Amino acid sequence: MKKLLAIYKTCVKTALNRAAAYRLNFILSFLITLGSNILFPLVTILIYNSGASFPEWDFYEVLLIQAVFTLSHGLAGIVFNEVLWKTMLHIREGSFEIVLLKPLTPLFFLISTSFEPEFAGLLIGGGVMFGIAAAHTGIASALAIGQFLLLFAAGFAVMAGINMMMAATSFKWVGNSRIPEIFESVKNFGKYPAAVFPQIIRGLAAFIIPVSMIGFFPAGALLGRLDLTAFIAILPCFLFMLIGIWLYNHMIRLYEGVGG
Amino acid sequence: MKLFKRKIDTLIAVAFVTFKEWGAYRTHSMVSIFVGPVYFAAQYYIWTAVYGGSGELNGMKLAEMIRYFGASALIGYLVMDFAAWNLNMLVESGKFLTFALRPLNHRFFAFSQKAGHRLLGFVLEFIPCLILFALLFKVDMRPAYAGWLLLSVVLAFLMNFFVNYCLGMFSFWFVHSGGIRMVYGLFSSVFTGMLIPLVFFPKPLQVIQLFLPFQYTAYVPVMVFLGRYSLGGITLPIPAIVGIQAVAVMTVFVISEIMYRAAMKRFTAVGA
Repeated sequence: MKKLLAIYKTCVKTALNRAAAYRLNFILSFLITLGSNILFPLVTILIYNSGASFPEWDFYEVLLIQAVFTLSHGLAGIVFNEVLWKTMLHIREGSFEIVLLKPLTPLFFLISTSFEPEFAGLLIGGGVMFGIAAAHTGIASALAIGQFLLLFAAGFAVMAGINMMMAATSFKWVGNSRIPEIFESVKNFGKYPAAVFPQIIRGLAAFIIPVSMIGFFPAGALLGRLDLTAFIAILPCFLFMLIGIWLYNHMIRLYEGVGG
Repeated sequence: MKLFKRKIDTLIAVAFVTFKEWGAYRTHSMVSIFVGPVYFAAQYYIWTAVYGGSGELNGMKLAEMIRYFGASALIGYLVMDFAAWNLNMLVESGKFLTFALRPLNHRFFAFSQKAGHRLLGFVLEFIPCLILFALLFKVDMRPAYAGWLLLSVVLAFLMNFFVNYCLGMFSFWFVHSGGIRMVYGLFSSVFTGMLIPLVFFPKPLQVIQLFLPFQYTAYVPVMVFLGRYSLGGITLPIPAIVGIQAVAVMTVFVISEIMYRAAMKRFTAVGA
């Protein structure tokens, strides 16, 4: 474990040094990520500006959901985003052997060499949104912070699972750059108050592909608007991550080394 | 006349080859059969909740809003473009040389490729999603004016291509034009009206859109589909806005022609 942590630390340092070396590219990517992040709550802003609203949710409560979603997205982006693209590139070029030959598990090697500091733009933007929203909504109680952290960790596990599953899919679906779109479309159901959606979608978003845990449930904890469903949904989230890891390791067996 | 026939023959030949080439990777396009309805479902429920009891928002009724999102998704499949990325890749790698040596204008070649690629999109994305929207969500997808819509979609197709090709041509000057594409993509995602109808934006921003290319690639054809157009407090009859769209396309075409001639003089075939 100590050895793995040391390897990860070295890889993070290398990624930061690389960002410093190509600083103009880093700054541009950072600003674009930050800019696109500002656009994320745009629909919500325009809806509330037009005098409409989500029933029983005020603007800052919805903004808090989207801020938490952005934070989770940013954190997962820093740690996992490149895993899919690196896996996909290696498979397409038939060079995944380079990863397989390393004296580390392939998944750990890819995660540790995929640290992407550019996604800090999302974290900063999400943090600002979070601050603004929380300043208006307030935080229900000290206990709510504990609940938030637990649910946020579960949401991060979902993001990890999604990234692993996307990368695993690329072993079978060689070179399909649209794989993320599939998961992005499903994640839409975690960005808004769950009450907006019908019961069946709420159930799917809580327990099967638990995207509600990325934004809605943790924000609900801070607002003191949680029910038992959120806590029951914690276990499926960690299961989702484990399935993602298992699937990735399983799909490696399909690798043929011929490119595509 | 002979030149025109030769151009058409070339267009059909390149489009057919592109259709077959991308047909081999058909699942790439078929992702839309899942993604399109899922995005649409999210919009459907979000806007149904937002409207609640209110009859109209910014002059749009709920049924109209649902039709707006259905049409914008479907029109998006018809006009989607990757000319900027493709041209950037060719210039950056130096592979553009192989096109510069051919007795064929690359812009026309890229346009023919897009025609073939979007024909595949029509078969594998547009038709299945249209059926799903109509049957699954019971959305009335009949256009108000079929003829004007067809013309507006063709103009949107051209507009999207010329704008993207111009963005790609920046590679002849900057080599790496990914940043410019990303910035354009950022603005485009907001101001084409795919995210939310442009009438929801503050009025000054709506007025600015009248002079920018974004609305002509999505918002205008979608409003033609709905049968009425208004932006920035200006309401125009359908033939008038389609006419303005045609003028906008001609303007971008002229800009792309000037840029193309300048780019050909600048091309060094070195790559990066």
